[in-house]
Amino acid sequence: MSQAADAHDAPTSTGIDHKKLIMWLFLASDCMFFGTLISTHLLYRKLYPTGFTDAEGHQHFIQNLFNIELTSFSTFILLMSSFLMALAVSAMHKGEIKSFRRNVLGVIFFGLIFLGCQVFEFTHFYHQGLTIQNSVLGSTFYVLTGTHGTHVAIGVLWLVLLYFYSFTGKLGGHMGALDVEVAGLYWHFVDIVWIIIFTAVYLVEYLGPSGIWGSGLPAITK
Amino acid sequence: MSHDTHHAPVASKLDLAPERSDLGLIRPDRTTGWRDWLTTVDHKKIGVLYGAFAMMYFLIGGVEALAIRTQLIRPDNDFVTARMYNQLFTMHGTTMIFLGVMPLSAAFFNFLVPLQIGARDVAFPRLNAFSLWTFVFGAFVLNASWLFEFGHLAGWFNSFDWHKALVYTDFAPANGWFSYAPLSGTFGQADASLQAPRFTGVGTDFWIIGIQVLGIASLAASFNFICTIINMRAKGMTMMRLPVFTWMTLVTSFLIILAFPAITVALIELMFDRQFGANFFNPSAGGQPVLWQHLFWIFGHPEVYILVLPAMGIVSEILPTFSGKALFGYPIIVFSGAVIGFLGFAVWSHHMFTTGLGPVPTAAFALLTMAIAVPTGVKIFNWLGTLWGGRIRFTPPMVLALGFIWMFMCGGFSGVMHSSAPADSQQQDSYFVIAHFHYVLLGGVLLGLMAGLYFWFPKIFGRMPNATVAYLASGLVILGFNMAFGPMHYLGLAGMPRRTHTYHAGNGWESWNYVATIGAYILGAGVFLAFMNLVWTAFKGKKCASDPWGGRTMEWSLPSPVPEYNFAQSPIIAARDAYFEDKHGGRRIGFENDGGNAGVHMPSQSWMPLLAGAGFLFIGLGMPMMSMHVPHAGWLVITGLTVLFVGIWLWALEGPGGYMLKTPVAPSSSGQPAPAATTSAH
Amino acid sequence: MSEAAPSQDFLAEEVRRYHHFITLALWLAAITGAEIVLIFLPIPPMAVLTVLSLMSAGKFFAVILWFMHLIYDKKLLFWLFLTGLLLAFATFAAMIALFGVERIDTKWFA
Repeated sequence: MSQAADAHDAPTSTGIDHKKLIMWLFLASDCMFFGTLISTHLLYRKLYPTGFTDAEGHQHFIQNLFNIELTSFSTFILLMSSFLMALAVSAMHKGEIKSFRRNVLGVIFFGLIFLGCQVFEFTHFYHQGLTIQNSVLGSTFYVLTGTHGTHVAIGVLWLVLLYFYSFTGKLGGHMGALDVEVAGLYWHFVDIVWIIIFTAVYLVEYLGPSGIWGSGLPAITK
Repeated sequence: MSHDTHHAPVASKLDLAPERSDLGLIRPDRTTGWRDWLTTVDHKKIGVLYGAFAMMYFLIGGVEALAIRTQLIRPDNDFVTARMYNQLFTMHGTTMIFLGVMPLSAAFFNFLVPLQIGARDVAFPRLNAFSLWTFVFGAFVLNASWLFEFGHLAGWFNSFDWHKALVYTDFAPANGWFSYAPLSGTFGQADASLQAPRFTGVGTDFWIIGIQVLGIASLAASFNFICTIINMRAKGMTMMRLPVFTWMTLVTSFLIILAFPAITVALIELMFDRQFGANFFNPSAGGQPVLWQHLFWIFGHPEVYILVLPAMGIVSEILPTFSGKALFGYPIIVFSGAVIGFLGFAVWSHHMFTTGLGPVPTAAFALLTMAIAVPTGVKIFNWLGTLWGGRIRFTPPMVLALGFIWMFMCGGFSGVMHSSAPADSQQQDSYFVIAHFHYVLLGGVLLGLMAGLYFWFPKIFGRMPNATVAYLASGLVILGFNMAFGPMHYLGLAGMPRRTHTYHAGNGWESWNYVATIGAYILGAGVFLAFMNLVWTAFKGKKCASDPWGGRTMEWSLPSPVPEYNFAQSPIIAARDAYFEDKHGGRRIGFENDGGNAGVHMPSQSWMPLLAGAGFLFIGLGMPMMSMHVPHAGWLVITGLTVLFVGIWLWALEGPGGYMLKTPVAPSSSGQPAPAATTSAH
Repeated sequence: MSEAAPSQDFLAEEVRRYHHFITLALWLAAITGAEIVLIFLPIPPMAVLTVLSLMSAGKFFAVILWFMHLIYDKKLLFWLFLTGLLLAFATFAAMIALFGVERIDTKWFA
């Protein structure tokens, strides 16, 4: 999985590996990326705090749609996957490839559970009448959480490839540990984005339709 | 490990034994000719390719500009239709910014940064090649819209069953380079195919995906350059010894990685509106079109500095060289560059004063905008301080660099006028704004980049451009430019709105429009002449010495053209302006002593960056074709995603490879040739 | 390439980190549990919001510092990431503040 030819021979000016540095730069950039998505969602919540109106003209409050038990469960799952990822990286540093495989399988499994929960949630919301087309809320909610889900899916794919790559015997030593650590950084970042989304998108809705933003405008029927 | 062949250094890569990658495929290390250029990971060749494509797109964007000026040469003209006019100014702006200035800056980043910091290459050579090819395919996708437009005009598509809402405006993008919603978005209700009615045709879809792909190219390149500058400096090359051009590359790269995500998300949202009936900017569902303006300018204002900072870096290298003095106030120049970059994120709403932000935000953004003039002014005074008392040589690069200072200042003065919100509401969307940003982007950035081309061409190709032609071209450019854009200040204040297809006689705009158009032709001739001189130089120019200007930074210490391994031995830097100090000061450049001729480690060439980048070609053509309801176009997108994934996957699996190149023994104080670079597989 | 066997100090350090990770995982779970309880308690919304924000920020920084090794790594990485994070926060807080119901013209709504 090595990418830089020079990455492992010359010592770097700062003592930080190129790959680790570029991943942190990417994550700094991704802060702006998710910042844009989350703020798009929040500012429309500010303007139209009441929720959305379905095809039959029924007003829905978003918190009646949410299933806080399910979301908390998937949040918990993602946090624990982050924990296992930290153990997988630690295992690679100690050169324990078997322990790495065990932990990374756990991460993949938890990641898939999270994605499963999201598919279930989307299906449920869709049947409740929230679609990407019928309201601004639907657009911002599905695109924000869907983009996060896409990040999770890419992470799962990455880890699956690393898992199988570890059987070729080429994933080892300092560079192997670095490759896993970089994948781990990505995974943890996806996790912390969810920490923010969980609070900013889900939990605050339980403080009432105008608890945070004031009265706002009525939801719009398209 | 299968890399034993590496350990014997070779004199030329053509002497290498055929070597297989970890995938079992033969590495294209020994290729020559076009295959060498397609698989290259050499930052110098990648820089040359960036430059060649950028100059081509400069000429295409210039032709579009001349068509615009020809249309406006007299009142009630009908040289082009209103529809074509919209497409021309949109593609002119988009082409010049994303396909002209940014890649030409990238050409300098690529060629110069590793040389200036004393490095072998960039941190991730294959990622660098991926950035290049992604840019090439993204640029092609954007311009492929013209092919569709011409096909449509020729009537080729008449037999298709078009969706009625799609074709009544355009195939090439036609909503201006910032594609404001709701014009670029949707209105009303989505139909069964999930597409809501829209104001513009598939040109906007080409624009969305084209900019998206170009953004990926810029982001990948910027991560790479930050990593290179922070992590690959030669020994002794502290941050405050970095050449100013490298500093400005670093600031620009930070601006790119922090500003582009905003436009990436905005484009995703607009794409969802258009392709899947979402409501981010759809006013009928409560979407706020003004959100597009915010997101666009959160990207767009830093983008202005992304365009201008590299040119400032170039000028900061040229002025000391031809004044025979060190740059005046180096730390202040660096600091003000960083402050410009930082403040650039805090002023986006000054593009939106007329949207009604409210008095407090308007005042705040006006003040911040005025504040940003301070570090810019500091730079100007530092450049003047560099010239002051210097022994000035008026070489072609110096003439262009001096033109930069003068023209950029004029653009800055009209810029400060815009920062006053009441004045801005008078100037908004008038030709005054056109005059302002062309003084900044053309009088500033283009002159700076041309100065850079004339300055470093002898280093890139080892040949000297014809000075007489260069002086003539510089004169034409500066004269034509002022003739074309000077009058636009007056036209704008006299009420001529921008983006008007034509105007009636009797508004008092006729004579200045006439002058502006003649000026544009002179400008076009000047740029064409300047570029042709460079193309001629690259192949036929007179050979020159390695340091023809008396350069100050590390790249001038190398032979011209620069050997593929850059430095035979890793240098040890003793001072700012290291090479000048080496020649004239007491502090010599040292070399790392490795105790033997192990050779220089070279990265292997690869097809994979090109393959991965090619995925964007399919995605880029497929998305707009989905909008056109071309049957099975979705499969084109899926093919593209697959090609992208497979390309990246194989790239990861093939392993970095690499080989050792013998280098001549450098006549250095240490007396030992070639730095050690032990090859290791993983 | 040959890797030297991990030294004893290094292993001891890894063991210490392992315990930190476990403690942190428990804390993360506990805070998440507290958050869920908190939203149903009869407390003024603004107070709840403040506490939720602090808890969320706490979890966020705990993960980047320990799981993502920032506390063990060079400080440069922390400052690079913090630049992106703070810039995103400041920019988008300002953008959300610029939107208000009083500036919306409802006559375009269908």
